Amino acid sequence: MTRLVVVAACALSLAPAAFASERHPTLNELENEVMCPVCGTTLAQSDSPAAHQIERDISARIAKGWTKSRIENSLVDDYGQEILASPPKHGFNLLAWLLPLVGIVAAGAVLGVAAWRWTRGRAEPGPLSAHSVNGQGPVDAELDRRVDEELARFE
Amino acid sequence: MQALALVGVIGLLALLVWKLTHDPGGGVAAQLSQGKRPTAPDFTLSRLDGRGSVELASIKKPRVVDFFASWCYTCPTYSKRLEKYSREYGGRIAFIGVNTLDAGADAEKYVRRYGLTYTIVRDHGRKVLNAWGGLPIPRIFFIDRSGKVIGEMQADEDLPRFLKKLAVDA
Repeated sequence: MTRLVVVAACALSLAPAAFASERHPTLNELENEVMCPVCGTTLAQSDSPAAHQIERDISARIAKGWTKSRIENSLVDDYGQEILASPPKHGFNLLAWLLPLVGIVAAGAVLGVAAWRWTRGRAEPGPLSAHSVNGQGPVDAELDRRVDEELARFE
Repeated sequence: MQALALVGVIGLLALLVWKLTHDPGGGVAAQLSQGKRPTAPDFTLSRLDGRGSVELASIKKPRVVDFFASWCYTCPTYSKRLEKYSREYGGRIAFIGVNTLDAGADAEKYVRRYGLTYTIVRDHGRKVLNAWGGLPIPRIFFIDRSGKVIGEMQADEDLPRFLKKLAVDA
């Protein structure tokens, strides 16, 4: 319950920042979220004429008071979905967000099962008499008897 | 566990097949460089001036297709030359400018600035551009009456040469 309250408090504390970002986006943040269509990097990393022109367009739209989502939608309309550095969180593109999480969970499960099996195998040894001393499997009873006989002859 | 691994491998193979079948692979430009004369990939794109759309295959005369953007430094030179030639050959050859990877407002300014009167359409994204060969732009292709791409402009002298050829075909 306490954890839930902490998580909710954290989420609420971030909400005003996200809301401000949506209402009053800055060129600086959009530069890192929008790709240069001709160079495969974000606008912030690009020095191409296309990137500079898009930056000018974004600045003009910010000056007109456009919201962040409106600017992003207009860019997608002009340049296609690839203009956004992150895929949208709906439709087929949602897979891009979910698959890494699924991969991490699956890898964790595989490692967990493997570790469980490994420790379980070590923790449940069979009857001592059925195993050899060096741990290489059960000792043949007949062989064990003959070894005892041979040893008895030397005593 | 094995089933999970199998699903993973099948998924990766499916992605590989998808990539191989959807990759532009150089498009029309690559086929031309191999000496082929491919059929022009059709497109239907909306006109920049908002007056409907243009379907390439429905134009029944030789065509010139120019991919350009307003941010492209060398594009204006060729746009202006195409404008000049469109006045000379306009009745016999269809001139189509495909504005690509560009903002609509910037494209409109470009068209006004250079006084372009031939048909300009907009490629939202780069799907059409990729089918023809992708970046860099400008890219100018020449299509004969039958719809075969007979060449791409590589040097300045290609433009009048191919236009004369298309005019004869018209």
